[in-house]
Amino acid sequence: MVNKLMWEIDRRDESVEAYKRDTVAFIDGWEAATLSPVPPYPDGGTLTPDERQAFEDWDFERLYALGAHPYLLWHLVRAIFVPERMTVEELSDAFKDAVAEHGRPDFAT
Amino acid sequence: MAEIVLTAGVPHTPLLWRLLRPPIPEDLGMVASNFDRLREKLAGSRPDAIVLVASDHFRQLVTSNMPAFMIGKAQEMRGTHPNEERAFGLPFVRVPGDPELARLLLGHRELPAGFDFAYSDEPWLDHAFVVPLLYLTPQLDVPVVPVYTNTNAPPLPSARRFVELGRHLRASILGSSVRQRVAVIGTGHLAFELGGPRQFLGTSPDPEFDDQARKWMADGDVDAAVETCTFDRLLAAGNLTFQFLNFLTCMAAAGGRPATIAETTPCRFGHEPFFAWEEM
Repeated sequence: MVNKLMWEIDRRDESVEAYKRDTVAFIDGWEAATLSPVPPYPDGGTLTPDERQAFEDWDFERLYALGAHPYLLWHLVRAIFVPERMTVEELSDAFKDAVAEHGRPDFAT
Repeated sequence: MAEIVLTAGVPHTPLLWRLLRPPIPEDLGMVASNFDRLREKLAGSRPDAIVLVASDHFRQLVTSNMPAFMIGKAQEMRGTHPNEERAFGLPFVRVPGDPELARLLLGHRELPAGFDFAYSDEPWLDHAFVVPLLYLTPQLDVPVVPVYTNTNAPPLPSARRFVELGRHLRASILGSSVRQRVAVIGTGHLAFELGGPRQFLGTSPDPEFDDQARKWMADGDVDAAVETCTFDRLLAAGNLTFQFLNFLTCMAAAGGRPATIAETTPCRFGHEPFFAWEEM
């Protein structure tokens, strides 16, 4: 469900802002949505404790190592870090440095 | 009978949209002129419709439903998504569709032999479709049948299936008179990485792959391309290189003959692909 959460954050400006404003509350709401699923495409999802911690910490290195899809991960990270925390060039360098040691985790969905 | 009036392959790198405007940066001059060249060739071929082979990037097709191959059969389609407007500055667009031609490729009551397509009556085009159209048909006035391929979310179809897709497109178009003049356009990447340790290097993450790719197209060497383009080889060239497979569909749609244009244009994003199979 890591990929689904990344997709749901990045796809709307309101979601990006809500995640940035109160990350824990956003994830709580996303996980709670699975308790009352509406077919055919239920909102929300579940995360392992490891995955949840990585989302709470905006820890892209950990998400990468866990097999987050690289395309979704980059766009999520870009949406939440740029421009307030760093430029896209700074982020790209930090991202490359952080994930390099993890090689190619299996990102099959 | 119908003709395939032009087959071509172009990039769709969305970051180009903010960059390819005067004054065009020096390293992107050839990219701009190659788009101009193919726009003129496409206009000169006077297509009634375009079959556009591209891959959604988790915009409309996500892990709740992930078709291997999907055909859009809407009368009109909307293009780009809010996060692509935010990230790339792309405009929202409306693009005419061609449901009749779509049904020719897809089947009407029965799927075609050997190809189990998914379909959508409400395709919402992402940058992979919108960027090529903005450069090749800026008026967005030629009806488009989008052919979606999954090159992003493994498990992926094999290289062989992309060739078979191209052969299917060719046989369907040439075997019918639904549209007289059809262009087949594909879009993808050469060696390319995003969301990985080799992104934004300022050069190609795998120049050797790019050179091989150019030769396959220039020689019409479908078999060598299929043999080499395994999942592991494409991943080694960069985690978005799977999108190169769309060009194998183009080569097969052109009858597997040598391309008349086969260029891997260097720029800050690596090499951008420009391929064409013109009718003589």
